[in-house]
Amino acid sequence: MRRNKRLIPQSSRSFYWRLRTAIILALALAAAFTATSILLHAGDGAAERIPSYVAWTPENIVAASSGNAFRGSLLAKRCDHCHGAEGFSSVGWTPNLAGMNTLAIWKQLQDFRSRKRTSRAMGPIAESLSARDVVDVVAYVSALPVFPDPQDNRVFPQAQADAAHSAIASRLITFGDGERGIPPCQACHGPVAYKVGVPSLMTQNGEYLLNQLEAFANRTRTNDINEPMRVIAGLLSEDERHAIAEYYGAGLGLQPAGAAGAK
Amino acid sequence: MVPAAVEHPLQAFGNRVVNRIERNVNWRKLRTILVTAFLLSLIPATRYYQIDEPLLHWLRGPNHPDPLTLHLGGEFAENNLGSEQNADGSVTVRMIAEQYLFVPHCILVPAGVPVHLRITSADAVHSLAFIGTDIAVKASPGAVREAQLQFSNPGEYKTACREFCGAGHYAMRSALKVVPKEQFPVLSGDERGTCAAQ
Repeated sequence: MRRNKRLIPQSSRSFYWRLRTAIILALALAAAFTATSILLHAGDGAAERIPSYVAWTPENIVAASSGNAFRGSLLAKRCDHCHGAEGFSSVGWTPNLAGMNTLAIWKQLQDFRSRKRTSRAMGPIAESLSARDVVDVVAYVSALPVFPDPQDNRVFPQAQADAAHSAIASRLITFGDGERGIPPCQACHGPVAYKVGVPSLMTQNGEYLLNQLEAFANRTRTNDINEPMRVIAGLLSEDERHAIAEYYGAGLGLQPAGAAGAK
Repeated sequence: MVPAAVEHPLQAFGNRVVNRIERNVNWRKLRTILVTAFLLSLIPATRYYQIDEPLLHWLRGPNHPDPLTLHLGGEFAENNLGSEQNADGSVTVRMIAEQYLFVPHCILVPAGVPVHLRITSADAVHSLAFIGTDIAVKASPGAVREAQLQFSNPGEYKTACREFCGAGHYAMRSALKVVPKEQFPVLSGDERGTCAAQ
């Protein structure tokens, strides 16, 4: 038995030659895996229900918040007619844009463009904007201040129809309803905390909010990522939806947590 | 007798110390190992959230969905959530925990049948705890946690989040409704995530 006989002679290659070979092999393997993975996942999204094509990846967040506000101010002239020159609309069912979060408006415009959120008015308008236009408009609109202006033709704030609603709303907004699993509004919509891409409600019109809550509850609006608003709006009673919408529409959400109406 | 002269300053501590210091070290090999270890350690540290990148996705396997893109497709797309009947009679339940909700909010499962719970998180770490028991399933972003459950009695099981996850944590509750096996309907895609279907 010849123990010292080696079938493969010991390599005299240098360490760096081996390192280079290893790197080339690793890159080749990576390319192969990538190709396989892309091929395997090519037909995945065929039958899936996608609420919105927006995902809050860091790339999207940077892209959405790097707009040119001056260019946006020129483009936003065509928003004035419905949303008001100062970002406060003159009719209750049109949303106010002043003081809204950059990412929130950006997401809605993206969803209007991709028809994930449908609106007869906003659909064609959003489709006419390029991706850069959207980012610029959003940069301008979200920078609008929320100061009161007596000379502006705005409906916000609107007096509550039923002052008794205020206690229900303030309780839901501040504490939610743990028994039913309803989280407090202000845990995501401010001022206590915000989730990424969630709109601030503090200066929003009540009528618009009510319409949206009902649309979420009826599932006619389905562009919320991982369906939080569809679930919560569905858990709220008709009365509570009205109460919350009126509370925010009256500008009471601007005050610190539960200051108004808490007894 | 004259003591031997001290040749090395550390010899005063005994021969073992000196031996260890003078041991041959293959510095090049050590350096290669350290540099490789450092470079490898960068892989998870650089963009952990981009685990949908094909190579990392392949390396980590299918149990690591990207928390930011759950809704764009894959196992936790909207239409896959809720309870799904398997061919062998068991039930698979897919859930997303997010701030501050469990989605679907109420889940219907049959009694006396194995329930495979698969849960992931879209943002923070949550924990799905069954109230009145010591059963809790953690939901972490970027990972799927599995639990095998079997409910012997029909009834409504309340669940709550048992891992502090933010401002609305204490209101993060949901329910799991167990119905007798023969009452469990074959759920279509739209009604899977609800308890209303009876």
